Amino acid sequence: MDIKFPGALLFLKRYNIECANKIFTRGDGVFGKGNTKKIILFGILVIFTLTIMNYTEFDRVGVSPMESAVRDILAPAQGLAMNLGHRLRGLVSFPFTLINISEENQLMKKRVNELEGRIRLSEELRSENDRLKKLLDFKTGVASAVGLDATGAAVIGRDPGNWFGMITINKGSRHGIKANMTVLNDQGLIGRITSVSSSTAEVLLITDPRSGVGSLIQETRAPGMVQGEASYPGKVRMVHIPLGTELGRGHVVVTSGFGSIYPKGIPIGRIQESGREPSGLFISAEVAPFVDFNRLEEVMVVTGSRTPMAVSGISGLPHPWGQGNTDVRGRSPGAVRSGEQGGVINR
Amino acid sequence: MRLNWFFTLGIALFLQVTLLNFFPVLGVKPDLVLIFVVFNAFLRGSGHGAMVGFLGGLMEDLAVGSYIGMNALALMAAGYLVGIAESKLYKDSPFIVLVLVWLSAMFTQIFTYIMLSFMGVYISLGIALFRVALPSATYTAVLVLFLYRRFFRSNQEGLLYVRRI
Repeated sequence: MDIKFPGALLFLKRYNIECANKIFTRGDGVFGKGNTKKIILFGILVIFTLTIMNYTEFDRVGVSPMESAVRDILAPAQGLAMNLGHRLRGLVSFPFTLINISEENQLMKKRVNELEGRIRLSEELRSENDRLKKLLDFKTGVASAVGLDATGAAVIGRDPGNWFGMITINKGSRHGIKANMTVLNDQGLIGRITSVSSSTAEVLLITDPRSGVGSLIQETRAPGMVQGEASYPGKVRMVHIPLGTELGRGHVVVTSGFGSIYPKGIPIGRIQESGREPSGLFISAEVAPFVDFNRLEEVMVVTGSRTPMAVSGISGLPHPWGQGNTDVRGRSPGAVRSGEQGGVINR
Repeated sequence: MRLNWFFTLGIALFLQVTLLNFFPVLGVKPDLVLIFVVFNAFLRGSGHGAMVGFLGGLMEDLAVGSYIGMNALALMAAGYLVGIAESKLYKDSPFIVLVLVWLSAMFTQIFTYIMLSFMGVYISLGIALFRVALPSATYTAVLVLFLYRRFFRSNQEGLLYVRRI
């Protein structure tokens, strides 16, 4: 039996006529007796939906109050759900992303190592540059002012034991280095050359127990002898100081120039403590060297001497050499002072 | 390889005169060459210990050039004495070796002190004992805890292994 379909449901006939026939057949179908109410409700629902669709086009600007309410209420839950979704996605895809991350991680690690290496190298070069600059400043400034010709050398080895204080430097006879030349740096006296090979030289540090340096206390002009104590690098001892000498903590000890090995006026250290020697005839004092013997990397070897500058020319030299700084008594601890310019050594 | 121990000795000496200077404790540094001599002596006996000790000490002396032969004698004696314990003590424990190294270090330091006195280098006994011998022996002995197991394994089956016929 032919039926007339409601306009809104014509598409059903178009797409599946057999199904539509069943639905709209009066006998067994939906449109049979008693189903009229349902059909009307169904129609209203469809029309309502189509109307709503018509009013909620995608290009409208505002949202309806109901939409707004629903969205606002759902927003937190949506947020949670989305968050959870992200996590779950991350969890599920984690094993797959690991492959990429692992590669990326390796690349990054390689890059970080490379950059860290460059930073370390750069720091090392900067530090070396600073040290060499200090030495150069010392050579052209202090050493020149006090009339010493010096050449720089690097420390390449140290005594393997704990009894002696010896270092090996990378310059030898072919660089003009000879035995008994004085070794120092910008801080003060280090020692003297004891033996020389073609390209290296051994330096006896003033901390070595076999070392003896003729010295005097700058403030009182009292003479003495600075000796090392085993390899203990933080202290040396000044012995044979005449009884009655006034000794104060912080007094500066400099080379005396006696014995013609060490030039006069090179700073050695400051007096820490003093007391009578066991014989009772002299005083001895513990001296803290200006030089840090644990961190010797570059040194200067005094190769010759000239006439030093006038006193006015050395007044601006840095501590512990110069006149600019003052000691505990308010006087200059500088090693090179009027009357101490006899730094000329004959070799 | 039979000469591996010789190269190891060279490396120990190289580190001794260079790198270890940057890690002083109480002004002293450890004696890596002595550690190597004691390890060898303890694992291979008096003869080998004395030989390694002599060569190690001689290399030390030559490296700096003061009193050539003094360290050679001291380390040879230490190597020989430790070697006597080779068949008498349990070899797996680093603590036994630690004690041996400490005793050997004290022995070599006192030996050196006596030799120096004979040669006219005067150092007060207090400084010699408390500023040099004790701190350096203790520092050296502590290093055994980090080095012995590795050396022992290498000696059993690694680079330092020597087949005994």
